[in-house]
Amino acid sequence: MPSPPSSPTPAPPIITTPQSTSPSTSSSTTAMESEKSAPPVPVLPTPLAKACASLYPLAVLAFYAARFQKVVDDPVAELAHQVPILLAAQVAFVVVCLPAKGTAEVVSEGGVGVEGKVGGSGAGNSGTGGGAGSGVILRPGKVGRRRTPNGGHASGSGSGSGGAGGAGGAATTLTILLATPVLATLLILFGAPFTTHHLQTLLCAVHMAILSSVALVYVHGVDGAVWREVWGVRRPGDVVWGGALGTCVGAWLGAVPIPLDWDRPWQAYPITILTGAYIGWAVGMALGRTLLYGKRIRFVEGDGELKKVE
Amino acid sequence: MAKSVRASVSKRNKAKLRATVFGPVVDARTQRLSAKLQELASQPKPNAERSGMELDITKTNDHIDKVDANVSTSNEDMDIDRSSVKNAQAHSNKSGRIQKRHKKSRSSIVFQPRLAMFEDNDNITAVPKAFDKVIFMVVDALRSDFVYSNNSGFLFTQSLIRSGAALPFTAYASSPTVTMPRLKAMTTGSIPSFLDVILNIAESDTSSTLAYQDTWLTQLKARGGQLVMYGDDTWLKLFPGLFERQDGTTSFFVSDFSEVDNNVTRHVPKELLRDDWSAFIMHYLGLDHIGHKAGPQSPYMLAKQYEMDSVVSRIYTSMEKEKHLQSTVFVLCGDHGMNDAGNHGGSSVGETSPALLFISPKFQTLGSFRKSPINPLKDFQYYRTVEQTDITPTLAGLLGFPIPLNSFGVFIPEFLDLWESSLKKVHILLENSKQLLRAMREAFPSHNFEPDLNSSHCEIEPLLDIEVARCSWFQVLRLLPDSSGIGKEELYPELESALLRFLKVAQRVMSSAASNYNLRNLLLGLGLNAFVAALSLPAAYKLLSTSGYAGAFFALSIISYGGMMFASSYVEEEQQFWNWTFTAWVFYLHIKSAMHPHCSISSKHRLSKHHNLYAPVLTRYGAVALLVSHRVLRRWNQTGQKFAAEPDIARSFLPSQRLVLWSLVALTYAYTCMCLFAHRCHSRLWRLCCFIVTAAALILKLAFVASDFPELLYETVPIRSGGILDGGPLILFTRLVMGGIFSLIPVSMYFSKGQQRSLGKEDFPSTVFHEALTLFLITQSKATNIPIFLILRLHAHIISLMKLSVLELTITSLIVQYMTFFAFGGSNAISSVDLSNAYNGVGNYNIIPVGVLTFVSNWSGPIWWVSATRVLRSKQARHERQAYLAVITFHLATTLISVMAACTALRTHLFIWTVFSPKYLYAIAWAIFNHLTVNFVGEILFLLKANG
Repeated sequence: MPSPPSSPTPAPPIITTPQSTSPSTSSSTTAMESEKSAPPVPVLPTPLAKACASLYPLAVLAFYAARFQKVVDDPVAELAHQVPILLAAQVAFVVVCLPAKGTAEVVSEGGVGVEGKVGGSGAGNSGTGGGAGSGVILRPGKVGRRRTPNGGHASGSGSGSGGAGGAGGAATTLTILLATPVLATLLILFGAPFTTHHLQTLLCAVHMAILSSVALVYVHGVDGAVWREVWGVRRPGDVVWGGALGTCVGAWLGAVPIPLDWDRPWQAYPITILTGAYIGWAVGMALGRTLLYGKRIRFVEGDGELKKVE
Repeated sequence: MAKSVRASVSKRNKAKLRATVFGPVVDARTQRLSAKLQELASQPKPNAERSGMELDITKTNDHIDKVDANVSTSNEDMDIDRSSVKNAQAHSNKSGRIQKRHKKSRSSIVFQPRLAMFEDNDNITAVPKAFDKVIFMVVDALRSDFVYSNNSGFLFTQSLIRSGAALPFTAYASSPTVTMPRLKAMTTGSIPSFLDVILNIAESDTSSTLAYQDTWLTQLKARGGQLVMYGDDTWLKLFPGLFERQDGTTSFFVSDFSEVDNNVTRHVPKELLRDDWSAFIMHYLGLDHIGHKAGPQSPYMLAKQYEMDSVVSRIYTSMEKEKHLQSTVFVLCGDHGMNDAGNHGGSSVGETSPALLFISPKFQTLGSFRKSPINPLKDFQYYRTVEQTDITPTLAGLLGFPIPLNSFGVFIPEFLDLWESSLKKVHILLENSKQLLRAMREAFPSHNFEPDLNSSHCEIEPLLDIEVARCSWFQVLRLLPDSSGIGKEELYPELESALLRFLKVAQRVMSSAASNYNLRNLLLGLGLNAFVAALSLPAAYKLLSTSGYAGAFFALSIISYGGMMFASSYVEEEQQFWNWTFTAWVFYLHIKSAMHPHCSISSKHRLSKHHNLYAPVLTRYGAVALLVSHRVLRRWNQTGQKFAAEPDIARSFLPSQRLVLWSLVALTYAYTCMCLFAHRCHSRLWRLCCFIVTAAALILKLAFVASDFPELLYETVPIRSGGILDGGPLILFTRLVMGGIFSLIPVSMYFSKGQQRSLGKEDFPSTVFHEALTLFLITQSKATNIPIFLILRLHAHIISLMKLSVLELTITSLIVQYMTFFAFGGSNAISSVDLSNAYNGVGNYNIIPVGVLTFVSNWSGPIWWVSATRVLRSKQARHERQAYLAVITFHLATTLISVMAACTALRTHLFIWTVFSPKYLYAIAWAIFNHLTVNFVGEILFLLKANG
């Protein structure tokens, strides 16, 4: 569907589609509405990738649990030490398990109009794909760049290793450069100390950024439509988005034990938040891959419900 | 403040023990106590006279036998108690609820110490009294560090400590730390009920009188002494007619720092010259007033300490000089402390640690020279910490009268050395022990204190406090016969320590078990509340069930809030819950507005050009703006317990950045004035009115600040308006300003005749009433809180731009009401009640205006939001308004149920009086004042107006 010219502000194009007709359409029939961008991203269909996607969150949690005492003892030093390890693990995970940006498009059954435009580029519509979740169409694309209008044809399977590696690098850089300050700001806005604990907030944000956005950047690059969906919390559920949203929700829930009067050392500021983020990330990934795959948070005229896109 | 890990562990254990062991006992005890009191009330008086005479007759040297006799007859004593209780129980069962009422209805004679005669009289004067008279000087809110630390102004008192003439202590004042319960604790030696907090506020109530209870005052009076009292009239209400000479001052007019104290001090010289009194009581209030108004760091504080020190110095000099004062003990104490904000009522260390000094030249012979002053301590525990209830038995011992029956106190062992013979020391402690034991038998009739029974039990480590008490009593008994029979001096020290050990344990047992509950009324209230919830449920459910996520959010927040009320730390830190919920709600609003950006924009098509530019931006990023401003708001006042001392904007940043403060304050006033202008923009006269009223309100605020918080004013505001407007003129001016503010509403109606409202303002959350109310609330807020109104306006504006459904608006309104209550510095502790604006324009203490002003100044945030929401909802249809009402009522009823259920279920919890009961009082205030008065009545008026 065509979209009107975007405003100079970062605001997304204003969609003039009328409201969904009935609030009760929880089925998959009227899935396509308003703006569409990248569909949910499945784990690569290789056995290695599938096994890895199941085990990797558990491995990270186990690692975190093993180092937990050290985090409690000296949060700043320990969290700083963990950054390169976590980063390496996360990059390895996304390279092994996920399709890199531009290499994969999953298309929903009804024939999705995928619209990925930023700054005036036309909508690139992908072709129709196969059945739900199974049809993985990989296609080449420039890493870290916007999707070009002609990137619509399907190519053979198998992700280019060069592309994946480059995507990993871009993901790393972008994560550190962009996601960390954004997450740090969000942490502070949601109640983290503003005048003190700067290092803790920063490290917490770095960890959350690695957990949440390395995969997002790797899979989606800087696709404006995707990031607008991220901003609007409208991505369809998948392993990447589940992990990212889970990280943030987990961090929010992680604040719960702080006011308790137990006076335990682990109640100090970044620890519960980060622990919540880790757990939320793992849970979000698992849910996104399985139960909530392809579902979106959706509000229809004051009526919100999870809606299946597939 | 920081309760240790151990505290929370033992908290759980104790709660468990209490639930299984002490719980059932308490009810039984209530009945027995009331029965006993009735019994006593119906006894003939002569007994007392006779006992008084016996005092003189009884010889002091042949007491050994009596000790023995008492021990052996203690079992009989108990049996007698029991039988009398049984007799009385029959007719007390029906009405045996509040002891106070019984006593009142039964007795018409005021002065009789009803319970003092219950002591076994033959032993009372076994020990010669050390003093004849007592000067009891209470300095309200005299926290321990005000006297003992380096920064203190009590220089003379500190020299007394160094010389040994003053024995310093920190007296633990249990919660509630407000004056009247503390006075009860100090005079009766018992732990007062929490109801006294309310009675403390409703000062005019005399039902809380102690005239019928056994106190050291009534004991002195019974001995024929005269009592004089100057200062806080709470004493006069507690002991009506007890004093020969008296001059009361009102304790609730906190703006007055000097008059209250001068009124006491002027009586001191002439009373010191008279020798007809045996107790001279002073109660100074100025220091507390300074605390409430300006905090412990205020420049007034040190000056007040010097003033108090000069009184101490004058009294001590007289005690040295005057012959009739030679046998006088001088007690200087605080009734409670204060927290860092200068308030009290809660259970933080500062509030529970008042100073306590016993002063007499005689004490120099004790040879206890202590270091003074001491570096400030963070936990305020200077020297040794004793219980505040210990004052009563100590005075009883020192002045030689029977310990009041309800006392849980322990004679302070430092004074034992006043008596040379260790026999006498033991005797003092034994008296105290027997009195406590008697109280304990009443409290725990199921426990046997007879020595022949299983004392083998004690070889295993006893678990319960009551068991420990029993065992230490058996230990005392084992030592006793030897000492009395043979009179071995060398056994006395051992006996002394055994007695002290028993006393300590017994005190702990009694303090923790000293509450009685009327379960039926608790359940009745709970049932009524459930009825209200059930009534509002159908209407609320209809809305909730059709509202998807918002309904789920609402239900979840009610459930989590309800669960939270059962955890003491979450009750203390309730603001965290609302802040946390608010962020989640903003997140929801963000998703929603990001989802349907066109909705809000299309609804704004009528807006002016000016709006067109930023409205879409504000809609899209409104949630972010909400979050940013909320983050600032969150830091404005740190409240609660855990993080209360951390720096915040209102107490740390703004006082040091006065220019910023006053710019923001001026901006707030100016903006309110602009909003008022905007309503009738064609009339110049209207603008003039608005300007005059706003300017007058600003000047009034300056005058208040100049008189109460001068440190906020230096340099930046050159006009010292405080000098011109002080006292009477200020009150008149305040009334004029308040009248002006509210007359804006009728005036605006006059101007609006024949005029159309200006265009483009309909979407702005504003009406004349709302603006006038804002101005009034600003006047009733602390200067450092005034800029918060700018943030509130921003919030309201953003919310007005979002197109919210009825339920969403209701939820927003509820969350921000609670959130802003805490943002203005409120918390669930009694100590956070802010009285500094409760007397604006009030000349004399009068419960109604002061109560209203107190409520308004503490609930200004919620009140503002109720009004703002009403403006936001101005276009709602009738059924939507009813739904709104149903939902807020449902919310209130369910949260109230959870609070009540928590208080009922946890009534034996360790923190019931310090955490849950204050929360309950706050819940009452929320329900009655904020919901019923502000929300409900306002809404009904609104509905009626909409109809008519």
